[in-house]
Amino acid sequence: MSDAVVVMEHVSKQYRQGATEVPALRDVSFTIERGEFAALCGPSGSGKTTALNLIGALDRPSSGIIRVEGRELGTLSRGELSVLRRDRIGFVFQAYNLVPVLTAYENAEIVLALQGAAAAARQKTVMHVLDEVGLGGMEQRRPDALSGGQQQRVAIARAVASQPAIILADEPTANVDSQTAEKLLDLMETLNRDKGATFLFSTHDPRVMARARRLLTMVDGRIAKDERRS
Amino acid sequence: MLRGPRLYVMAWRNLWRNRRRTIITVSSLAFGVMMAVVFTGLTDQSLGDAIDLAARMSNGHVTIQAHDYRDSPSLERTVDGNAELRARLASDRDVARVVPRISGQMVAATASDSFGAGFVALDPALDDQESFTPLGQIVEGKLFARDDAQGIVLGKVLAHNLGATVGKKVVYTMTDKHGEIVSGLGRVTGILATGSPSADAALCLLPIAAVRKLLGYGPDEVTQLAVYLRDQRVAEAAARRLGRVVPPGAVALDWAEVNPDLAGFVSVKVAGSEVIEAFVILLIAAGIFNTLFMSVMERLREFGILLAIGFSPGRLFRLVVWESLWLALVGLASGVVVTLPLYRWLHTHGIDMTSRVGGNKVEIAGAVMSMVVRATIYPDHAVVIALAIVGVTMLSGIYPAWRAARVQPVDAIKLGY
Repeated sequence: MSDAVVVMEHVSKQYRQGATEVPALRDVSFTIERGEFAALCGPSGSGKTTALNLIGALDRPSSGIIRVEGRELGTLSRGELSVLRRDRIGFVFQAYNLVPVLTAYENAEIVLALQGAAAAARQKTVMHVLDEVGLGGMEQRRPDALSGGQQQRVAIARAVASQPAIILADEPTANVDSQTAEKLLDLMETLNRDKGATFLFSTHDPRVMARARRLLTMVDGRIAKDERRS
Repeated sequence: MLRGPRLYVMAWRNLWRNRRRTIITVSSLAFGVMMAVVFTGLTDQSLGDAIDLAARMSNGHVTIQAHDYRDSPSLERTVDGNAELRARLASDRDVARVVPRISGQMVAATASDSFGAGFVALDPALDDQESFTPLGQIVEGKLFARDDAQGIVLGKVLAHNLGATVGKKVVYTMTDKHGEIVSGLGRVTGILATGSPSADAALCLLPIAAVRKLLGYGPDEVTQLAVYLRDQRVAEAAARRLGRVVPPGAVALDWAEVNPDLAGFVSVKVAGSEVIEAFVILLIAAGIFNTLFMSVMERLREFGILLAIGFSPGRLFRLVVWESLWLALVGLASGVVVTLPLYRWLHTHGIDMTSRVGGNKVEIAGAVMSMVVRATIYPDHAVVIALAIVGVTMLSGIYPAWRAARVQPVDAIKLGY
């Protein structure tokens, strides 16, 4: 039986630039199953980030249907989308995007706190996750006291701490050096393999594409190739 | 134990991200607090003094008199100020003292001259300088004794005009209760100098028992019962309350009704102060708004991220409102710190305006004001200022907070790339 986390059906998205409409996605359909380690790849402007934003309920499609764990995003209110993002979707951004006034611990904890998890349970989970991403002992550091790689690890910890249905990672290795990129990919692969976390990347980094077990290649807003690897 | 982020913690930390801007804004808030407290304190003190002085120069904060006395003052219009009524009035929670008085017009004459004057007949056992300021301004001789049927105290200028000195005889003539002209013989026991040209030229003090007898009054009959309150600000409400216990034909008037000139002056001064304070608060609000709005606009991308990870728009709104509140509280606390020394100095020493005004006293609507300007703020006015500062700061934060809550995550996240 299918265990689809994300379903996109004939999704299109146009952006208005002045008087003209620029298509970013054209009739895109695909499904992401639970436990996948998949990547959307393609050149700049091919629609990768647009697709990720639509799945992440950060934007609405011009047409088509998107379902996350069976819930059709187009039918949800702004508040319901906010709750969906909080509870079922994890984000890892290219520029880390940690909250600068919060410590590593607080950044990793924030989604759990928003969910209203009990303090003791939050502490146990966050300490464990920070340990897993290799940041044990750095809990009280603020982002400006962490390297780029360490910040991205905190961002990953934040994304996985609440055990979302899917983690959307937009160019997660773009701002770090090769060695750090490999370590981050090792970490995400481990989380996928050991914890069953579902990952969907948007990337044009060959290292990410090499590790992805499913590669959706986008060209001009369409899925040009959907390639599964063992 | 590690603690998770709370909105108020995030807001507090956010406040100090741009330390210089926050310090400048807090300074402007503190300056606003200082201005408001000093202005209000000076106004409260000067107007309170004026009202109290006027009450002590005439017939109290609340005056009980015949209902038609104000329109047509006459010694024929009296009230029965018996002990029972005085006790009932004195039992009111705001009343400090009730004093019987007879006041009216007379002609004072000596062998050398005669002048029209106003008189206040009082009981030396019940009145003192706390209830009637001129009693503390006798510069020659002394006040007559209670059983002195002939005692009279004259204003300094009046005494000079009459050629009267302490111990000299003065004949005073007035119209009695029945409209007949009656005269009494007095012997000057004292001369007073109030500093008010009008009072010094036309004020006489007489023993109330002698005047009652001369006018044919009953044993408790008076033209006024002067009621002194613990706080002049409650005069209107107290007058309304006391008006319910006075006998038929009598009314209770607050100082503003008795002294409309002073009431007009007070209203103009209060309105002027309020306009200045509103202007100061408006300027402060503009500064705070600028700070909060800039702070929000600089963090749109961050707000987009917070929305992406599950912050609701309402929570973002509350975050910025918390920042406003912290700003207000820090500004208020700083304001108290910088205002306290200045306020204490103004309260204790004050500013001596003598050299600017060219005299050591000035008369305003019958009240002789000291030229040393001091500040004493009423506690409830201090609370209003504190609430106004916090309220204005919070209001200034409403639009920036709304703007933060309206951020579209996908647009905000694109910013900065």
